[in-house]
Amino acid sequence: MSVTSPAEREELNRLLIETGRNDQKAFAELYRLTSSKLFGVCLRMLRDRGEAEDVLQETYTTVWRRAAGFDAAKASAITWLTTLSRNKSIDRLRQHREEILDDPTRLEETADVQPTPAAQAEASQEYRRLQHCMDQLEPQHRESVREAFFTGATYNELAGRCKVPLGTMKSWIRRSLMLLQTCLGQ
Amino acid sequence: MNTPVLENDDDLRYAEYVLGVLDVDARAAVAQDIEVSPAAAAAVAVWERNLLPLADEIVDAAPAPYVWARIRDALKLNAPAREAPRKGLWNNLPLWHWIGIGASAVAIASVMFVVTPPRPAPAPVAAAVGYMVSNIQQDNGATGWTATMDLQNARMVVVPASPTTFEQGRAPELWLIPSGQKPIAVGMIMPDKPTTLALDAALLSRLGPTAALAVSVEPVGGSPTGQPTGPVIAKGAISAAPDAQGHPARVAGLRHPRGNLGLT
Repeated sequence: MSVTSPAEREELNRLLIETGRNDQKAFAELYRLTSSKLFGVCLRMLRDRGEAEDVLQETYTTVWRRAAGFDAAKASAITWLTTLSRNKSIDRLRQHREEILDDPTRLEETADVQPTPAAQAEASQEYRRLQHCMDQLEPQHRESVREAFFTGATYNELAGRCKVPLGTMKSWIRRSLMLLQTCLGQ
Repeated sequence: MNTPVLENDDDLRYAEYVLGVLDVDARAAVAQDIEVSPAAAAAVAVWERNLLPLADEIVDAAPAPYVWARIRDALKLNAPAREAPRKGLWNNLPLWHWIGIGASAVAIASVMFVVTPPRPAPAPVAAAVGYMVSNIQQDNGATGWTATMDLQNARMVVVPASPTTFEQGRAPELWLIPSGQKPIAVGMIMPDKPTTLALDAALLSRLGPTAALAVSVEPVGGSPTGQPTGPVIAKGAISAAPDAQGHPARVAGLRHPRGNLGLT
């Protein structure tokens, strides 16, 4: 789900800045407003509730410690927070990758993340812009990019899943990134 | 690749870093670049702004209430809600006895809404917090005690289902048993009346669906060793609605298993 209204974004920016000044109330409010989104991200990538809870905890302890370094001129709070939760999730995946993938019971948390019509209707302008550019990619390449983004898989793992040589997967993703840059830069 | 769109290999690496396809070493190298080079940090930020909107597709999921308790514990934050517990409600043992013995969840909800005054500044944890419950069952399957944990106020109320008699000099002690760990003493509880116990940060952070509560028979002053010394007479898993968001109406676990609706 997206934080779409400019007022909501502004409020989160303000709360994160206040958190950087050691304001515990602002931090708690920030958690209240953003933890469901961030937990959704962790759960989607890690596919295990316990792991996702650990990473969510790491994410917010890092938020508290690093919030003073947040600069609203460079990124919105929600992008900053989501990035942090993704990076922590990916780091965790790199540590535990084998265990997680080898345990079939962990797959039960997996959910299909095709956007619902409602989600699309309220999609942010940024999301629609990205979606427009994603639509220009070849279907197989687009799916690889989505799989990479949502699962945090490495090139090697993606190549294995799609049953293509590593070089082919790298070529698909890199070409896609270049096309996205061109499209988004316009 | 000969498309000259990405200005250099570094920019491509940054894009790959944000997408999440790099292995451990390559990721660490980019993280290092971000630390030391403002240009690298700026390039990564551009890719984050470009790609992160995809995360809008991910469905929100409410974390369990104890995650916030753990964060607060890990950071040694003050718990504003604990500075001013609502004594009127929490020390009202007859009320808790009544709830424990037979109130329906709906009745509890109405009690909560009526008794709880609006707070001047909403407690920060209010929306992320919830209640956890445990039916502490005896070996024969009968409920010995019902425990209700209020994470917001760091309190637990333990209500006996029916009075239990103990030998002279012996009394029930409540333990929290985190999965795979040694029991942690929560406190002595009354065999025949509700008991309210404070939950410190260490206990709060360990509450969760993988932990259990247990009651053992100990000397009246409590176990002399810090671990259970007498027989364990009742045990129960801890549960919470997975998306409990502080809606008291969801505290369905408070309903007494015997369904006795009579007031005592």
